[in-house]
Amino acid sequence: MVRLHKSLKVMSALALSAAVLAACGAKDDGKGNTAGGTASPSDASASPSGKASAGGTTEFQFYFTGSQNVKDLWDTLIPMFEKEHPNVKVKEVYVPPGTGAQPTYDRIVAAKQAGKGSGGIDLYEDGITYVTQGSKDDVWDKLEGSAIPNLANVNAATMNDVSNMAIPYRSSAVVLAYDSSRVSEPPKTMDELLDWIHSHPEKFAYNDPSTGGSGSSFVTTVLYKDLPEEAIHDSDPAIMKQWDAGFSVLKDLGKYVYGKGIYPKKNQGTLDLLANGEVDLIPAWSDMVLQQLNEGLLPKTVKLQQITPGFNGGPTYLMVNKQSDKKEAVYEFLDFVLSPEAQSVIVDKMNGFPGIELSHMPQQMQDKFKGVAEGFRTFNIGDLGTEINKRWQSDVAAQ
Amino acid sequence: MKKKELKQAALGLLMVSPSFVLLLVIVVIPIVRSMLSSVTNEAGGYDLSRYAFLFTDPGMRANILFTLRVTLVSCALVLIVSYSLALYMRFSSGRLSEWIRKTYMIPLFIPGVIATYGLMNLLGNHGWLARLLLPLGIDLPRIVFDQKGIIIANLWFNIPFATMLLSSALAGIPASIIESAKDVGAGRLRVFLRFIFPLSYKTFLVALTFVFMGVIGSFTAPFLLGPNAPQMLGVSMEQVFGVFREHEQAAAMAVFTFLLCSVLGFFYIRNMAKEESGRL
Repeated sequence: MVRLHKSLKVMSALALSAAVLAACGAKDDGKGNTAGGTASPSDASASPSGKASAGGTTEFQFYFTGSQNVKDLWDTLIPMFEKEHPNVKVKEVYVPPGTGAQPTYDRIVAAKQAGKGSGGIDLYEDGITYVTQGSKDDVWDKLEGSAIPNLANVNAATMNDVSNMAIPYRSSAVVLAYDSSRVSEPPKTMDELLDWIHSHPEKFAYNDPSTGGSGSSFVTTVLYKDLPEEAIHDSDPAIMKQWDAGFSVLKDLGKYVYGKGIYPKKNQGTLDLLANGEVDLIPAWSDMVLQQLNEGLLPKTVKLQQITPGFNGGPTYLMVNKQSDKKEAVYEFLDFVLSPEAQSVIVDKMNGFPGIELSHMPQQMQDKFKGVAEGFRTFNIGDLGTEINKRWQSDVAAQ
Repeated sequence: MKKKELKQAALGLLMVSPSFVLLLVIVVIPIVRSMLSSVTNEAGGYDLSRYAFLFTDPGMRANILFTLRVTLVSCALVLIVSYSLALYMRFSSGRLSEWIRKTYMIPLFIPGVIATYGLMNLLGNHGWLARLLLPLGIDLPRIVFDQKGIIIANLWFNIPFATMLLSSALAGIPASIIESAKDVGAGRLRVFLRFIFPLSYKTFLVALTFVFMGVIGSFTAPFLLGPNAPQMLGVSMEQVFGVFREHEQAAAMAVFTFLLCSVLGFFYIRNMAKEESGRL
């Protein structure tokens, strides 16, 4: 007991000192910020005349988050860019997942509200949630083709979806992954897929939609199967009434999916079932399947098939801070990211789809995505995704 | 003299304060805050609607009953197995008991997620066990994605610690008591019921408390091994908090779980207090 007390004390002392240290760190950070803040106005007053200090180098800060493969990607791309553009330096700030995405965004907003310019964050990478959130808070810069010529390579409809506030520089889509040794003719439409599931009981699985995007995409695609095409860009809660038909399909499907109603957790859960042969057909993220095929974690007989109209695809976006005073340099970098050359690296490293239209990519890349890249759709239904998960849990899982 | 006492008191307070502050910041304040947010209704006012939902929503009610069932079954099985192991190790000195003594702690050193995935591989539909039993013509029932899986994982996680607690309690029972009881003609059962169990009862209660709290709040194993519905409270809480983003509802569930645990905590503390006052 005595020893326990002692260790408790040691621990609390450690915790206290850690707290003090953290506070110091925060203070330092604050100082750095204010320094940056006071420096930038003078910068700004100098730069309009000299057009981003011609001759000298401009350094801007790029915040991004994601798994290790995202960091590897930028570690490759940025040196490539800097070699071609010696006057621009990109300072990458990698925020490991789960630690700092929200704080980074909060910093951008806080700096804006405090009138301190960009807060040292010039370029930011994240998903659609923050694109929408930032458009509401008016922190993203509207991107124009005149400043970024390669923007023309990006699908115009996709840019419209985000009102030109962000660049979808790479994406991955949900596709059907199937074992070709057991499935000779994979379904090509949603109706064919539903028929297939009925005629092959317990050979299809999708994961719990609240735990991973592939299951969520399957559920959403079923719900919106018979709704008008534009409904997938509608975040008005009024549409929820029209889900009833879809939910009754999903409910009925419960008897035919793996284990008569078992929905594994996480995207990997269904991939594991496919890998050990318990099921033959699953919805899965294309990049996960391609990567695991490369690593030999999935049997070589696993193949991909997109249905028409397609499953949900999720781009990852780059957003420019509206308050940034180094936009010229950032545009130069974005233009590079959208070049076919940089996009090829993205495809190789991430097994993701290019952010630009496939027709602008080298032929061998176009071949790689044959049958898969066509026709994935971007669902932009805002907070309704949460409602879907909630209703799925009570109507389908707990039926 | 008085000054010295005062100084000592001040020093004592100073030395207690770090752990007190730590407790305040990471335990007391969060509990009070979640209690407050759990009684906040959707309109922003205060009432018990979040709790009413726990008992009126069929899915949630099923979750609570499921959690209680899994917890009680796990507790019973863990204690039965642990107590038997501890008794065996205490009163037998064969090679087998030596081996058990050496190996029973191993599960404690295997990280939970890894153990859970191991269990999935072992017990899954096409897992090792199914493959081993296939030639014998035995068809396994579904273990993974079912409550059986959660209970088995709970056994794996909790038996070592409970066994450790119980065997230290049994080691504390003087052999002389048992021998003298045997000398006056007490049978094995009688020795157990009259001496061994009463003398290790307190530790038994401690073990029960630990297992109960560990199981009722568990997340990893039920998340990966459990069915989609009903869910254990921990899994459901995470979903309500993280996916549905209904923080107040999750807080109500947390407070409810806390109340369930405090029932057991109450008996535990009462028993400890009795013991203390008995010693004085």
